[in-house]
Amino acid sequence: MTSNAEMNPVDCHQLGVRYGRMVALEEVTFTVAPGQVYALLGRNGSGKTSLVRCLLGHQKPCSGHIELFEQDVWASRRSLMHRVGVVSEEPDAPPTMTTRQVLQFCAGLYPSWDALGVEARLQRFRVPQELPFGKLSRGQKAQVSLALALGPRPSLLVLDDPTLGLDAVARREVYDELLGELAERGTTVFITTHDLAGIEGLADRVGILHQGRLLVDASLEDLKARYRKIGWAPPQALRLEDLAPYGPLGFRMGSLGGETVLQGDPAPLLAARPEVQIQDLSLEELFVTLVGADTEVAS
Amino acid sequence: MSVLAVTRREWIGRRNVLLLSLGMGLLQFIGLHLNPDPAQAFDKTSFLAVATGTMYAWAVAALYGATMLSRDLEERRFGFLLNQPLHEAQIFLGKVLAGVGLAFLSGLLACLPPLLLSGFWRQLGMREVGSIMGVWLAGSLVLLLLFHALSIQVRSRSLWLALDLAAWALFFLGVRLLSLRLMAVDGFREMAHLWLGLLIAVSLGLAVAGYLQVSEGRADLQRGHRWVSLTMASTLVLVLLGGWAQVVWTLKHRPAPVQTQARTHRIR
Repeated sequence: MTSNAEMNPVDCHQLGVRYGRMVALEEVTFTVAPGQVYALLGRNGSGKTSLVRCLLGHQKPCSGHIELFEQDVWASRRSLMHRVGVVSEEPDAPPTMTTRQVLQFCAGLYPSWDALGVEARLQRFRVPQELPFGKLSRGQKAQVSLALALGPRPSLLVLDDPTLGLDAVARREVYDELLGELAERGTTVFITTHDLAGIEGLADRVGILHQGRLLVDASLEDLKARYRKIGWAPPQALRLEDLAPYGPLGFRMGSLGGETVLQGDPAPLLAARPEVQIQDLSLEELFVTLVGADTEVAS
Repeated sequence: MSVLAVTRREWIGRRNVLLLSLGMGLLQFIGLHLNPDPAQAFDKTSFLAVATGTMYAWAVAALYGATMLSRDLEERRFGFLLNQPLHEAQIFLGKVLAGVGLAFLSGLLACLPPLLLSGFWRQLGMREVGSIMGVWLAGSLVLLLLFHALSIQVRSRSLWLALDLAAWALFFLGVRLLSLRLMAVDGFREMAHLWLGLLIAVSLGLAVAGYLQVSEGRADLQRGHRWVSLTMASTLVLVLLGGWAQVVWTLKHRPAPVQTQARTHRIR
């Protein structure tokens, strides 16, 4: 028998979702290990929302299945939700209930509710608890949603684009709160986001969904080792043909120089061409290169 | 307790309905006071108050039923409940309880002020009051379930609507034919029994369909609609078959009309 600490919080196997003839997800398979922060990235319409809905047992997949802590989420949603905290893309608490009433509602459903922690969190962000949830600012709603998700001391935190529509300060606050939780309890996190710069310092592993398929599923370290960005000047120093052996992605030329992302090891190229230099590759650049280039990439 | 938590959540979101009902009751109360001949007005107003309360309670139940889940689904708020450790039955039951309670209280608030003033309630025995309340509650429950199913069928905009329309059309056509057969032999009492039986059976079907919409459809409106359609179509067909069997049995075992009996006797 697998112990709680060894169980994979998320095990997605050959997941498929269709809406009529439209394929939203096709054979998506990935695993999130205990204590990991898994960031699922994808453009709008890539299938992220369908995947999160299946992950939370809101929607039954057409094929495949998702297990949370080795239990099928569709069949065991109720019991699993004791161990899962969720922040939805759109804050979905009832708008007419005050924050205090929402807290009371949730507190009554969880035996392990961390009332003091939730209270402290809301006070830290000066969220007025007597105001209806619908009248809070977007940043305050995000903080309340995060506090509610962390309230039951979850083993798995599912965050569906939690920083959507937030200003830079509110975004930072959400990430700081998340970092604090990770440092304190080592909670496993599954996050979908468009805020690639924000998640880069947090994520251990990254999945990139594109047109319903999981294009990439790898650790951030592996990705950065596998894909290298190079730049050169002047622009005419290198041609696309010269880079063919290295599998260039997103070849770009400007008046001052050129840059591209290579799939292979660029060491021979660097040795042969002193005008070529390795540059830092951010997660955002990698995402734009992979998804924008519409390239088939082996995960 | 979880069921009541869902009920409370629903009530907080719709407490304005109760305020509106109270306002309606007070308006009738004021109208009664302003009447130049209060003695005569009391009887009329009392009857009107009960009728208004009944209609109002049922209207609230129908409106609540039409929005209790489909509004949450459209506004993408249903996830809030699904993300809690609540069983689908608790969610559905909590919502139904909230709707029936809200409808009942709304009706009561809408008719209570004029009834208290006119003293009409003192003329009624416990049995009458119980009957009125029973009718309110039962009617509210049936309307709530019916409008919930209809709202899911309409809002999902899927092709299953064709099956819904066909099933309901077949059902009403069948009920009409069965009723005509009973009316042809003056079986009005049997017809009333048939209708009551059909109403109870269809209401049970609606309750099962509503529950399946939540448990099997969850946040997926189209899938929920499919379950509602399949449940309702099979319920309506089965209920109709049951009704047909009842009519056949009734016609076979019903004592023949007096004239026919006399004729049969003479021939013998």
